[in-house]
Amino acid sequence: MAVKMHPDLDMLLDYSVGGLSTALSVSISAHLHFCETCRSYKAQLEDIGGTLLDEISPRDMVGPGLDGLWSMLDGATPDTDPLDSDIRDTDLRDRQAPDAVNSQNTAKSGLDSAAELRTLPALIQNLFPVKAPQWRALSPSLQVAKIPVGEQRYELALHKIKAGGKTPNHDHRGLEVTVVLQGSFSDGNGRYLPGDFLVRGPGNIHRPIASEDEECICVSVVAAPIRLLGRFSKLLNPLLSFNPE
Amino acid sequence: MIIGKPISVNTIHRKLGINKLAMNKIGVNTMIIKKVKIAVDPNRGEWSDLLVKVGEEKDKQAFSRLYTHFSPLVKGFLMKGSSFGHEQAEELVQETMIKVWRKAASFNRQKSSASTWIYTIARNSRIDWYRREARRRVDLNADDFYESADENPAYLSVVQIENKKSIQKNIKLLPREQFDVITKIYYEGRSHGEVAEELNLPLGTVKSRIRLALRKMNLQLEPLEMEG
Ligand SMILES: [Zn+2]
Repeated sequence: MAVKMHPDLDMLLDYSVGGLSTALSVSISAHLHFCETCRSYKAQLEDIGGTLLDEISPRDMVGPGLDGLWSMLDGATPDTDPLDSDIRDTDLRDRQAPDAVNSQNTAKSGLDSAAELRTLPALIQNLFPVKAPQWRALSPSLQVAKIPVGEQRYELALHKIKAGGKTPNHDHRGLEVTVVLQGSFSDGNGRYLPGDFLVRGPGNIHRPIASEDEECICVSVVAAPIRLLGRFSKLLNPLLSFNPE
Repeated sequence: MIIGKPISVNTIHRKLGINKLAMNKIGVNTMIIKKVKIAVDPNRGEWSDLLVKVGEEKDKQAFSRLYTHFSPLVKGFLMKGSSFGHEQAEELVQETMIKVWRKAASFNRQKSSASTWIYTIARNSRIDWYRREARRRVDLNADDFYESADENPAYLSVVQIENKKSIQKNIKLLPREQFDVITKIYYEGRSHGEVAEELNLPLGTVKSRIRLALRKMNLQLEPLEMEG
């Protein structure tokens, strides 16, 4: 069963060079999980990077070099990374607070929700290393669980539509990317299966309906219609780059 | 410290057209190896051999050869595409090479060449560096979302090696304006949209230069059905 809808080549290029926002990169990774064709494209685009690395003018290492690397490794236990373990710990604590707001709406216990993730690609499980998704009902048949990635311009979330469920008609503030992870849904334009990568723009009103036999889980990215320019753009742009045409 | 680049005995034999059995008989094996220095063709897989050794045996000597060869390249790559100074670039090189040491067991020579694999690790290290700078959620690493895309490998090594050869040959033959756009995107790790903006070029112009460049490098890209 081949995936029908794909990100465009320019977006795969942006992904392959590391020039996409985290939220969009996650959506591309989710598609790649299902799509052999795009995985092959990605591998070729990464080969360009490998070739450029082969051909670059080398710059001599002037710092601690290999000895420094061995001593860094000697100080580390197998499971911790000397480079980022501190940061990880701090950040995990910081993340607890905002999620708690939604907890009264949690439909299932954390344990059940974690079990529910097991059928999804490992990518999705990696996004919830500490806590299970906090589902919040948007309508009787539609639930959403935000995935915090800390980006202002992009919101990453899981959506779950009940089997046969109809979602409310909705328009888009900005660009919206949806990748089906499990089950399927239809709208006025067609039926979408796992891996299908849908892009919807503002003014593009649609009403997704899940198939009758199975609930549908999607990962989605919504881009706020803001264009960041100015003094922070140099630093932030590598993370916030998306240019809808 | 090994000064020459690593190369297998068999490769030298092949390049010299020498029959190994015959040579062993006359006992000149070592002598020839000492005299001959041949540049490593990255497609021949010597670097991959070393990576596999590191992955399977935690071979420190194999790693030190990889380090000696690749760390100045990764540093050169990072400094070419950003305003990183020596210190910052080397910090990222160390981060990259530590991951090479730790993750070597997951290197799959059927799926990619050593330099492509190291490129992706350096790319992810740079992404994480930018994310830390921008105080993004950092318990999530670029590796977490890039590697999981490859849970289902399906890429044929033969196709892959042919593609890389074709890229190597043709990238140098690209017209200047295509070469500049492609290299800027890769060196800086920025989207084509940002590069268009910075070069003050219409987005469509940049997109078409990308298409032409990819075509000239003979990438195997069938047209994708566009989203409805
Ligand atoms: Zn695809």
